Amino acid sequence: MAGRGKLIAVIGDEDTCTGFLLGGIGELNKNRKPNFLVVEKETSIAEIEETFKSFLTRNDIGIILINQFIAEMIRHAIDQHMESIPAVLEIPSKEHPYDASKDSILRRAKGMFSAEDFR
Amino acid sequence: MGLSEKEECVLLDQKLLVFMDQLELLEEKRERLNSLIEQGWFSMSKARYSMGNKQVSALQYGSEMEPLVRVHTRTLESGEAEFQTKRRTLKSPEERQVEDIGPKDKEGVRRRVKTQEVPEIDQSDNKHPWTETEPAPSSKPEPNPQQDPLKWFGILVPQTLKQAQASFKQVVELSAEVATLQSAVLTTRQQLWTRQTRRTDEPG
Repeated sequence: MAGRGKLIAVIGDEDTCTGFLLGGIGELNKNRKPNFLVVEKETSIAEIEETFKSFLTRNDIGIILINQFIAEMIRHAIDQHMESIPAVLEIPSKEHPYDASKDSILRRAKGMFSAEDFR
Repeated sequence: MGLSEKEECVLLDQKLLVFMDQLELLEEKRERLNSLIEQGWFSMSKARYSMGNKQVSALQYGSEMEPLVRVHTRTLESGEAEFQTKRRTLKSPEERQVEDIGPKDKEGVRRRVKTQEVPEIDQSDNKHPWTETEPAPSSKPEPNPQQDPLKWFGILVPQTLKQAQASFKQVVELSAEVATLQSAVLTTRQQLWTRQTRRTDEPG
């Protein structure tokens, strides 16, 4: 795993973004777009989806962290993402605890089983 | 040539067990990840209580940031992806300052102004009392994008904010492990499905 390494992007509420920026993942300079989006009450679903898709197309992002309640708003876009990089991790928020039954990855992994698979 | 029915079943069972183990490990790591995130929020709330509501918010974010941690990725032959974080160590404030304010080669303790031996100076330099090679110190320090993000919130921050940062640093490391496991789970699931389909399609 040589090279400069990729970024970790965040789409979350203010507390989530503040926490991860404290953790040192943030990039913001005059020339490049930030690798995070603070989602507030006024943030539209279109903006969230546009940011998510822009993160997917950037080749310098390795992981996208997203609050699960925000992921629910753009579930169709997340379900369409089949590549392994960037990885999409759904995380809880203060008001919405993590629900494994809603996680796209776990639904793909578990939901395709049928009784026939175990014969 | 191909595997017998029994061998195929054994392989499938082994794959299924690997898949179940991976799922169990993934759920364990997820619980740890979520717990650390909640711990970080709790510490941040305590810091906000002592510093003030608006003192720990997006208003304090630096105008320029450079990531202190990056993730290295690798794709295996099976299509599975591996993620590993690498954190950059920050220079201590003393190391940074030595570069900026260290003594220059030709300076003594004092500079004497010799009126008889004044060298020819370009008129435009008359405004600057320093030598040509020494730039005038700027009145405002430029923000350092590589600084510890903790410094956005003040010079003396409460211990709770440092605890929040420590929690989220651990979350970042764990995120890479969870991402690797997610990829492994999906790859194993795909392999299971392929084998099962092949077994079902084969005659007899």
